[in-house]
Amino acid sequence: MTLAQSLRGAASGVEIRDASEVAGRLMPGVQPVLTASPASAEEVAAVLGWAAQEGVGVLPLGTGSHAEPVADRPFIVLETSRLTGIEEYQPADLTITAGSGTTFGEVDDALRENGQWAPFDPPLVRERSIGGFVSVAEHGPLWAGYGALKNHVLGATIVTGDGRILRLGGKVVKNVAGYDLLRPVVGGRGRLGVVTSVCLRAFPIPSHERVLMITGPSVPDLIDLALAVGTAPVLPASIVVAGALTALDGRSALVLRLHGAESTVSADQATIEAHIGSSMDVVDASQGGVDALLNELRNSGGVEACGLEVSVLPTHLPEVLSAVEEAGVDAFVVDSYAGRIRIGSDRLDPQAVEMVRVVAESAGGALRVGRWAGSDRPAGTPHRDAEIRLSERLVSIFDPGGVLWPTRP
Amino acid sequence: MTQMLVHTVADRLRAIVGADQVITHPDRLVAYESDGLTAYRVAPRAVVLPETTEQVSKVLRVLHEEDIDVIPRGAGTGLSGGALPTPDGVIVGTARMNRILAIDAENRIARVQPGLINARLTEATDPYGLYYAPDPSSQSACTLGGNVAENSGGPHCLKYGVTARYVTGLTVVMAKGEVVRFGGAGREAAMDLDLVGLFVGSEGCFGIATEIEVRLLPKTEGVRTLLGIFDTMEAAGRAVTDIIASGLLPAAVEIVDHATIVAVEASVFAAGYPTDAGAALVIEFDGTEAGLDEDADRAEQCCFDAGAREVRRARSEDERMGLWKGRKKAFGAMGRIAPDLLVQDATVPRTRLPEVLARITEIGTEYDLKIANVFHAGDGNLHPNILFDRQDPEELERVEKASREIMELCVSVGGTITGEHGVGVDKRGYMPLVHNEVELEMLRRVRWVFDPDGNLNPGKVVQ
Repeated sequence: MTLAQSLRGAASGVEIRDASEVAGRLMPGVQPVLTASPASAEEVAAVLGWAAQEGVGVLPLGTGSHAEPVADRPFIVLETSRLTGIEEYQPADLTITAGSGTTFGEVDDALRENGQWAPFDPPLVRERSIGGFVSVAEHGPLWAGYGALKNHVLGATIVTGDGRILRLGGKVVKNVAGYDLLRPVVGGRGRLGVVTSVCLRAFPIPSHERVLMITGPSVPDLIDLALAVGTAPVLPASIVVAGALTALDGRSALVLRLHGAESTVSADQATIEAHIGSSMDVVDASQGGVDALLNELRNSGGVEACGLEVSVLPTHLPEVLSAVEEAGVDAFVVDSYAGRIRIGSDRLDPQAVEMVRVVAESAGGALRVGRWAGSDRPAGTPHRDAEIRLSERLVSIFDPGGVLWPTRP
Repeated sequence: MTQMLVHTVADRLRAIVGADQVITHPDRLVAYESDGLTAYRVAPRAVVLPETTEQVSKVLRVLHEEDIDVIPRGAGTGLSGGALPTPDGVIVGTARMNRILAIDAENRIARVQPGLINARLTEATDPYGLYYAPDPSSQSACTLGGNVAENSGGPHCLKYGVTARYVTGLTVVMAKGEVVRFGGAGREAAMDLDLVGLFVGSEGCFGIATEIEVRLLPKTEGVRTLLGIFDTMEAAGRAVTDIIASGLLPAAVEIVDHATIVAVEASVFAAGYPTDAGAALVIEFDGTEAGLDEDADRAEQCCFDAGAREVRRARSEDERMGLWKGRKKAFGAMGRIAPDLLVQDATVPRTRLPEVLARITEIGTEYDLKIANVFHAGDGNLHPNILFDRQDPEELERVEKASREIMELCVSVGGTITGEHGVGVDKRGYMPLVHNEVELEMLRRVRWVFDPDGNLNPGKVVQ
């Protein structure tokens, strides 16, 4: 009996197709046996229960995957494209629940029809499935003003590696009924379970946005200005320094986004300018340049063949940025309030990455290697032993058979 | 034999923390018999008060070797029995671990010991133009360690979120005394599963946090506080819904009901709320001075549109404190009208508030109980307070039945059994209302990941 026949027998209703259909959404070298598309949490449970019994690995796939090819046994792709649609949306409650295969763009459109939004902006955010979005939990520049995604995922339904359905959290903004198992699921990269449904907190769209910019000074000077903004008495929605921006003809810039009533953003601009001792240009929204600039800031470092993320306390950014520039990298995005640097390039020198990692770690920070084209992948900052041990024990109770395919942390 | 064992263990503990910091005399143990949930009382075997991470580690190692239950305790202000001792257990109190270890104003973080009182942190960071956002109602007494254990909220978490949002790193002593570190600002790129987030709200069952790193926020430039007076609770609830739906994001939206207003106005905490009002709504905006009046005007209009008979606006800090007084002193005021108070805690979707409140009133009538409501309306976080006398067993039974009905009601409309007080022992029996057996079993297993022998705070959250 083939695996497809075996799965059909165990999970009726699940669409089973040739894996070649999803090949374009996988990293090169990832070669699954087949694709299964369940349409409910129960069908996901049937697929995972079957996989656990058969010793087959399962790679959850939303709109695309960053899973590294580390096959040591046959595995299938579990596609979430049939777990779609807005399940519940109560604008007055500021909560929205959607199937995990729903794209963030669809969720965002539904929210915007009611004057609301979900203020998260990792790379390629609109194209991402909500399940993948929550499982990876990358953050974007809006972290400064709105906080991390993990604080705004109110609930999720997941299916564990051995096919148990867990409803975690809920649809209310405050909930402490038991240990918060939702937290390690958000950003857990699918290792604790397949997310089938997500409830997000929504926010009212600010009545006004003003984008401010400084170009001209060197990157170190822009970083100094950004750090000064970070100590101002008002907090922008985002504080970003980016190098070699295409939208600015290769120039570097400090870009701020201010949100609020028009009178508020005007006052905030004045407060920030007085605090940093420098005036800022208002980017003219009517010329269409704002969208291109914000898109580049959002996506840069998240779409290229090689991607790195460095985190460090904001005051240590100058020394790490200096190492980044010394490594020959001039395209990066720095969220100076969070102390994060995102670097993307079609090719990065592993030795240069190692040098940046050493500098980051000596400043108390860390480096994560994301996507990497080639076989010479450098090491990122290791997790602490206790964190590894406890994480592995957590994974072992959510996925005792080791069915779920871990993407590289 | 048991007594000898106590002496042996006590001597070992005294050798670690000093003779004065191990309490075994029954008269002194009385103060540790309960936390803020006074309906449950159990005397612990002893209380140990360490001062450093190293001492906590050694204490836990001894207690683990002796197979003795460990009950972590902060200030004991919790309202769900999270610090309730077991008869053979030893309380490890953090009262002496009350230092601020570092304030890094440039990076807006602070590192503190768990016994630090919440409000002290904001006082200490005030000169830097910073503050610590989570503000539980007990913030002048409760500790950061307790806040971490309970994932505490507060009136202003409508805009700013609860404790978990602000904790960036932890040093934790595990059940056998092992010292581990989770997370840390600047180390996000080396984060694996979010163990910090999982630890926050674990109610002392996973370990004792001995150092807590938190994020600080810049102090806001201005504040506007309104007090809306309504003839009915329903109208006040409508105003809340309208304010949120209009796109405003207040820092706090709090409601006190008629019964609470009457209690407050008859007490030494009288705040000038009209005693014939059905409900009073405290609304607060903070942020850049320039936009605040506009926000306050819009909220005021929402109140009038919903039927407010009057809306007061604070013109000074004293007036602001006055408007808040009726809300903040509500629990104290209730003490004079009944010997005991069960402060319930549940969350419902905001739009379901009016029907839930109406039904709670009916439940009070059906069980012949006085229920006063004070709650975080913006979050849908209810605090129905049941007034009773625990010396009356028949009344106590009615209180328990009414509590269960209220919990069932909140869950039935899509809510949950606790929004900020935690499960402790009080809500343990209600856990099956929100979790099926598969989920409860997963909670038990996750607990074993951290404490395989079950010595830490046994009997709390899940059995």
